[in-house]
Amino acid sequence: METEPNNRLFRLPFKIPSFQGVRALGVYLSGTLYALGFWVFLDAVLYSKYSNASDVHVTFIDWIPFLCSTLGMIVVNSIEKNRLMQGALNGGSGGGAFGGDLDAHMAWQARTVLFCGFALLAGGLAGSIVVLVIKFLVKDYTSYPTLGMGVNNVLGNLLILGSCVILWVAQTVEDEYSYSLTI
Amino acid sequence: MQFKVSPLTKIISLSGFLALGFLLVILSCALFHNYYPLYDIMLFLLAPIPNSIAGARHSGEADFMSEGAGGSSTQDFPHFLTAMLVTSGLSLPLVFYHCKLIGSAACAMSMAGGLIIYSSIVIFSWFFHGNWDDEDDALFG
Repeated sequence: METEPNNRLFRLPFKIPSFQGVRALGVYLSGTLYALGFWVFLDAVLYSKYSNASDVHVTFIDWIPFLCSTLGMIVVNSIEKNRLMQGALNGGSGGGAFGGDLDAHMAWQARTVLFCGFALLAGGLAGSIVVLVIKFLVKDYTSYPTLGMGVNNVLGNLLILGSCVILWVAQTVEDEYSYSLTI
Repeated sequence: MQFKVSPLTKIISLSGFLALGFLLVILSCALFHNYYPLYDIMLFLLAPIPNSIAGARHSGEADFMSEGAGGSSTQDFPHFLTAMLVTSGLSLPLVFYHCKLIGSAACAMSMAGGLIIYSSIVIFSWFFHGNWDDEDDALFG
């Protein structure tokens, strides 16, 4: 809880908004970043279709990193985050035989799916860089209007990654707050 | 109490505002014989829908406990979708301009028109929700 008013180190010249406001703001920011990433990538696609002077075109290969990133974002953010904590809390203490086993199983499943989601996100970013290097840099298309199609791909995937991180953080902060509220 | 604008005036001025937005977008298409910016109207008309659906359902089960615990996770997706649609509506003319599909004047006009359409819809719903309390006070006060 970094915004606790009592044990804060510095005096701030503004008032930190409430958790609900931070959460809504983070979600709005995340949606904005996702749309920016999508449109930065779509800019490369439309540029290649309509006003491209060179002989390099955006094909389905360039779409694969974007599709990976979007799929990873959907997977990561559709996980119930309490499941991740559940196994960690109940697994060590070893309470009920059946209940603890079930919780550990659920937590293991949640971690596996989460790992797949993050792997898809990282794979999307790495794939866009690979496309940039193999399709543009290696073949000496280093002048800007042509190179921009590859750079836009990397930028779009970076923005989608940032959107996913902000959405995760916004939801986790709220979860901690409600957790402390119930206790 | 002394500066009481009647709801009819609000509605008429807002509809004029909305018509101005549509006029700007359609003019940005028709002046240049290039009808790509019409997609902008679609995006900005879709943008308030997720929040209004969530708001209607949220006000139906008005409960102070569901505000923090239950309702928060379901509120996230409409917020995300709204921000995504508004940003898409703003960046669509810019992308078209960068791809030389539309000119710079059409880009600026369609962006301004789309923002006017979206803001008038938001202000309309805001007036509408605010008016219930005001009307009750005026009637029974």
